[in-house]
Amino acid sequence: MMPEPTGVIHDIGYRHYEGARLGRGSAFAALTVHSLRGAFGFGRTARAKIMPLLLSTIMLLPAVVSIAIMALVKQQGVKYPDYAVFMQAVLAVFLAAQSPYLVAPDLRFRVLPLYLSRPVAVLDYLGAKLAALSIAMFLVLAVPLTLLFAGELLVDLPGPPHTAEYFSAMAGAVILAVILAALGLALASFTPRRGLGVASVIAFYLFTSAVSAVFYGVFMSMGRDTAGKWAMLINPFFLVDSVQVALFGTAPSNGDGYPPGLWPCLIVVMVIAVALAGLFLRYRKAASS
Amino acid sequence: MTASAITCIATEGLTKRFPRVTALEDLTVTAGAGVTGLVGANGAGKSTLIKILLGLLPASSGRARVLDMDAATQGAEIRRVVGYMPEHDCLPPDVSATEFVVHMAQMSGLPRTAARERAADTLRHVGLYEERYRPIGGYSTGMRQKVKLAQALVHDPRLVFLDEPTNGLDPQGRDEMLALIRRIGAEFGISVLVTSHLLGELERVCDHVIVIDAGRLLRSSSIGEFTQATQIISVEVEDGLQPLADRLAGVGEAVAVQGRTLTLEVPADADPGRAYDALRDAVCDLNLNLIRLEQRRGHIEDVFKEPAA
Repeated sequence: MMPEPTGVIHDIGYRHYEGARLGRGSAFAALTVHSLRGAFGFGRTARAKIMPLLLSTIMLLPAVVSIAIMALVKQQGVKYPDYAVFMQAVLAVFLAAQSPYLVAPDLRFRVLPLYLSRPVAVLDYLGAKLAALSIAMFLVLAVPLTLLFAGELLVDLPGPPHTAEYFSAMAGAVILAVILAALGLALASFTPRRGLGVASVIAFYLFTSAVSAVFYGVFMSMGRDTAGKWAMLINPFFLVDSVQVALFGTAPSNGDGYPPGLWPCLIVVMVIAVALAGLFLRYRKAASS
Repeated sequence: MTASAITCIATEGLTKRFPRVTALEDLTVTAGAGVTGLVGANGAGKSTLIKILLGLLPASSGRARVLDMDAATQGAEIRRVVGYMPEHDCLPPDVSATEFVVHMAQMSGLPRTAARERAADTLRHVGLYEERYRPIGGYSTGMRQKVKLAQALVHDPRLVFLDEPTNGLDPQGRDEMLALIRRIGAEFGISVLVTSHLLGELERVCDHVIVIDAGRLLRSSSIGEFTQATQIISVEVEDGLQPLADRLAGVGEAVAVQGRTLTLEVPADADPGRAYDALRDAVCDLNLNLIRLEQRRGHIEDVFKEPAA
């Protein structure tokens, strides 16, 4: 062995990279983390942080108020399974504001070919984007639920804590996050312009909620209760609520209940499948151009 | 040296048909280490060839191998060790060059710390310094091209595909880019496949040039043979172009008049000195005012006029 040289020559010429080259999995994880951070505005301009942080804060307000109610009058405020339906407008705005950010710039500025010229495949790219948006939507809903549960435990309401309801709501939050992320990405990916993406996602929400409310009203006034209950499911938030009711036996948030059986679960799976198929077809076209 | 280091790219009867056009037709070429130029007019099939070599587009027939890997079946492996700089703009405006290149390094499989180091190194090599912390939206075309090049080099590939890297650059930016490409091939030890529609600029940096037209191979040879074969002298005089042409034709030179210029073709095996002497004598004897006399070799249209080698 040669003795360690004492002098140092700084070589500023080209150095080859000899270190580790990780596989697709690590690129997938890096893209997921990058997109998740971006969905909350981290690593972006100050202006991009306003909406996600504002909406996340608004999501916490009912939890804070509920804790105050529990502390003062020893009575439960917002129920866990109702939280998502209660706050659906805020969740929809968050989805509309953030899903175009995840897909539109890469299409508009044609960054996608740079991803695809690397070990990242189209499915990896879409999977990472879907995972990131699902996690973001889950966090926006799960953090207030968890805060509320922590508050309930601290306030120590009379009677046993609503642990089962909390976990049912958390499971519901997972389903809601995945279906919303799939719908949001599929809608947003059809236009490379972010503004149009925001508009199309919010329009989709307004359309589904309006249509479901109108049909519900019409069917109920005609006395056709079953048809009215089915009409409720057009709104994705009530659809997921109905899955919560069917799977975990929670109280329905709409007061009237939903069609019985596991149909809502099947519908959720089908909606997710259709959204993902649309997303994949859209990107298969984009990738080959 | 292993065989893969000698042959970087090899295609065999490569054909790509789109529903309406045939982009590549029965293309058989090989390219070794060093800098290889791929020349062709717009729409000649250069970008299609690169996409096939990256394994992103299936060929209609024929085979393509990159670094001894099959492009049709080992696309993912190829893309790990190859860099790609697209022809089109591909940069998001609201992130800085550093962040963007770090992210792209991670997408190539580099761990985060290594990605940061490599991004800083690579951006320095392409000549981006303090401005790399500013959002890309405010960059000039020259700076954008450098960022595009940096993202193609950040993972230290063995081979890079540069699609029209001098597009839209001013003469100085073009010179810088060409010098950089030469350094990548020579100093960095990374093989380069660079496309352009100007043979003139590629002959300065390439070891080997492949010319394609309408998806077909026109010629593939080392740069030395190339410029020799296509030497042309172009002359412009104030008046009396026709007498000059007649006089030169009289002494056995191959001349042609194109508008206000006269071109004098020098065959590959002839001594160019003789042609220059004949031209000088003719201009003197006819007492003409010489405006311009230049060696106009290697223009793409000249290659197209010749039969394929």
